[in-house]
Amino acid sequence: MPVLGSSAIPGARFVDPAVLARIGNLELVARSVVDGFINGLHRAPYFGASVDFAEHRGYVPGDDIRRVDWRLYARTDRYYVKEYEADSNSNFSVLLDVSKSMNYGSGGATKLEYASILAACLTYMVHRQRDRVGLVAFDSEIVEHVPSSAKHTDVVLHVLDRIKATRPGSLHAPLRKLAEHFGRRGVLVLISDLYEEPETVIDAVSPLRFRGNDLIVFHVLDRAELEFGFTDASSFEDVESGEQVPVVPDTFREQYVSLVRAHIDGLAARFSEARIDYAVLDTSQPLDHALFKYLTTRERLMRVR
Amino acid sequence: MAFLTPLFLAGLAALAIPVVIHLIQRERKQVVVFPSLMFVRRIPYRSVRRRHIRHWALLLVRLSALALIVTAFARPFVPGTTAGAGGAGAREVVILLDQSYSMGFGDRWDRARAAARDAVNALGPADRGTLVLFASRAEVSLRSTADRERLLAAIPASPPTAGATRYAPALQTAGSILADSPLPRREAILISDFQRAGWRGAEGGRLPDGAVLTPVVIGGDAERLNVAVSALSMSRSAFAGLERVTVTAGLLNRGTKPAASVAVRLEIDGRPAQTQQVSVEAGGSAPVSFAPITVSGNPVRGTVRLQDDALGRDNMWHFVASPAIPLRVLLVDRDGASGRASLYVARALSIGDDPRIDLVQKLAGSVADDDLRRASVVVLNDVPVTRSLADRLGRFVESGGGLFATLGPRATWPDPRESLLPVVPAAPVDRSRDDAVHVGALEYGHPVFELFRAPRSGDFSAVRFFAYRAVAAPDVERTSGSAPGQVLARFDTGAPALVERRAGRGRVLAWMSTLDLTWGDFPLKPVFLPFLHRAVRYLSAYTEPAPWLTVGQVVEPAPTHGNLEPGTWKPASAAGAGRVALTPSGRTLALDDEGADVLELEEQGFYEIRPQASDAGAVVVAANVDVNESDLSTIDANELAAAAMGRAAGATGPDAAPLPPTAEAQERAQRVWWYLLAAGLLLLCAESILAARLSRFS
Repeated sequence: MPVLGSSAIPGARFVDPAVLARIGNLELVARSVVDGFINGLHRAPYFGASVDFAEHRGYVPGDDIRRVDWRLYARTDRYYVKEYEADSNSNFSVLLDVSKSMNYGSGGATKLEYASILAACLTYMVHRQRDRVGLVAFDSEIVEHVPSSAKHTDVVLHVLDRIKATRPGSLHAPLRKLAEHFGRRGVLVLISDLYEEPETVIDAVSPLRFRGNDLIVFHVLDRAELEFGFTDASSFEDVESGEQVPVVPDTFREQYVSLVRAHIDGLAARFSEARIDYAVLDTSQPLDHALFKYLTTRERLMRVR
Repeated sequence: MAFLTPLFLAGLAALAIPVVIHLIQRERKQVVVFPSLMFVRRIPYRSVRRRHIRHWALLLVRLSALALIVTAFARPFVPGTTAGAGGAGAREVVILLDQSYSMGFGDRWDRARAAARDAVNALGPADRGTLVLFASRAEVSLRSTADRERLLAAIPASPPTAGATRYAPALQTAGSILADSPLPRREAILISDFQRAGWRGAEGGRLPDGAVLTPVVIGGDAERLNVAVSALSMSRSAFAGLERVTVTAGLLNRGTKPAASVAVRLEIDGRPAQTQQVSVEAGGSAPVSFAPITVSGNPVRGTVRLQDDALGRDNMWHFVASPAIPLRVLLVDRDGASGRASLYVARALSIGDDPRIDLVQKLAGSVADDDLRRASVVVLNDVPVTRSLADRLGRFVESGGGLFATLGPRATWPDPRESLLPVVPAAPVDRSRDDAVHVGALEYGHPVFELFRAPRSGDFSAVRFFAYRAVAAPDVERTSGSAPGQVLARFDTGAPALVERRAGRGRVLAWMSTLDLTWGDFPLKPVFLPFLHRAVRYLSAYTEPAPWLTVGQVVEPAPTHGNLEPGTWKPASAAGAGRVALTPSGRTLALDDEGADVLELEEQGFYEIRPQASDAGAVVVAANVDVNESDLSTIDANELAAAAMGRAAGATGPDAAPLPPTAEAQERAQRVWWYLLAAGLLLLCAESILAARLSRFS
């Protein structure tokens, strides 16, 4: 598979999302991507919920020295290890935006294809961790729902494979409904292009955190949406509403890009306040690379806490 | 505003196309499907600029430049109004200055030149003038120029020419110049004494429609004496073996007062020889005869000259008195013929002196080459020609001699079908038992029989022939000028009587009967003598030397490699030598050796034509002015002008309605296209500068 570029991670190969999108077998794609960069790592990253602290116990030789609570040592001058309440078999659900705007792609892969591959990769990774996987596809309402289950990996991949973006969407209604649905704590991954005001997005996603779910938001955007690299004066048509607006890109680009940046910054600030992980994914960048960067960042932050 | 090539204006419509397309064009039909216009809508509308014209000034400059260039190609012009009184517009003026010798009367020539100068000075800044000098012919001295100085310099200072007046050529020349002119107004100014003798109706001398002819009459002179030598005759006589010429001049008093005791002088070779006094009544004429002068050897240059008067050119008459040169004829009889065989022929040829014929009689066997060399014509009187004689006669005719062959009962030729004769003679036809034959059809247009054309000038039908030679060759009758013969006369049986043939530079006449009483009574008839004389003159190509010619006539020097005699006006020259002509004024004109050039007599006086390298064989030609030109009676100038303009007299004058100029002429005069093109190019330069600056600014 064409490799977009090497990185500092030895053995890791990052694949052009356009190429991935042309591979018909989503499971194969997911497995290839995930195995591909995991093989290059010393150990597989853990993609799961954060584990709550249970108690301290005295260190005995053979314990993982990384579990030593060094703060307590500083206070007591004695070695204690932390013990957590690990919860195996946690729930993992992908909340996939399949509104019509997700069907856009200026390069080889549309946002939906990119999001589907991402969802498939995450599903596969979580499945390797023996967690329960599920999928919710929505536009203005719930389109598909695969309940979380350890046996639903194939189902999820199958749904992802055939899902289409055909209708206009909105975040508020479906996510509100989903917030009531997810009673059990788990990991919720929202993949959307978030074409709503930041306040509206926060209002829509915040309830998902209320039950203690770990919410991760992947903001998927096409390179054209980020940079507005158009040159010819044209009529721009909203893919969901059909509205047309004449645009002269030469004089329009700068303002548009600044608006997009402001929107992303606004979302980042609000998600940060709400302790929601947020990452912007450019569909022109290698998917595995973006995923790897996110996972390592997440893991580092988990250790800090 | 009108346009010479209006189709180019269609290009103006094309200028609007890009503007129209630009203005009506909505956003490009290209539609870009975008995920969301959430951010697009936030950008203020004014920033989403529709395509519209921003630099109106630049657009206007471009469109204006292209419009000017396209309009220039359409060749616009402002149509002129038809001129009314005092019509406007530049004039094409042709000044016709009469240069005939009648303008030398008194001070007419000075007044004519002054009038020509006035006409030149009256030309406007936009006018163009042409100076045409004319007498019997018209010559354009300076054509269609606005340079008045050049026109003034072209007015000749020398006296008028010796030519006579002819208005038709001058009017034709003016008409052609005016017809070619693009200027709106066309005018001809005729400066002349308007001699009646110079006008013979329009003669094709018409000006274009709308052109104006302004006559300037040079005349109204005070009464002056004007006696002219109007005629001259010369009669020849012989005295003591010398040829003498008596000159008689006719004088004509053109004035209104009698001329008393007018001195008339006869000059011989430039020296006064005799002087007489004569009085001539006003309007009358009088002859003056001088004592005979001896002419021998070389031609004599003579002049009859009157005392000076107001018109000097008609006061003299030049002439050349040449000694009469006899026509040498060789009469050949058959060997053994009696002296009476050619009695009638010899007698006939010995009579007369116009020309005088020197007759030499020889028998056929005794004809020497020298005899042939000296003779101009050979008459064979029923001679059986030997091969040797036939060859020599052939060379004689080929070199320009004439042969009159009488084909009687004894005449034979060695090879009749290849001989010099125009016919192949057959056996004699005997009509002695039948009715005699007569000469029926004559070619009266031929020089031999031209004399007998008029009624009662000779009756050939009275001549009876009892025998004649038939013609053996069936194709003898052909058109003249070719090797076979031309039948000039026929017997009433249809058989040829006289047949001509040209051979080389000479001619042959074959007479199919006898010139004695053997076969008819021809020698007894009155037509016998003139017939023989005409035949001999024709065969010798004899032409009388003209004692004088008229100015304007043309002399055609003929190539002379034969034996043409000096004293005729066809000059002889050594073979291969160039010839020159000396004019009365002393100029030397070269004449082509092959005779292609002609010499036009332009001056009054004596011309001498001679070989370039020697005086031998020189020919003198006297040239006199046309005597009619001394008649100064005039015609109505307005009548002439009306005839030339083709409209009623009186409707003349420089302010008459000018001819409306053609569209092409107006456009050419205005040249609006040039200014439009220049302005368009300047605007394009400005557009380039403006576009560059706006581009940098934006």
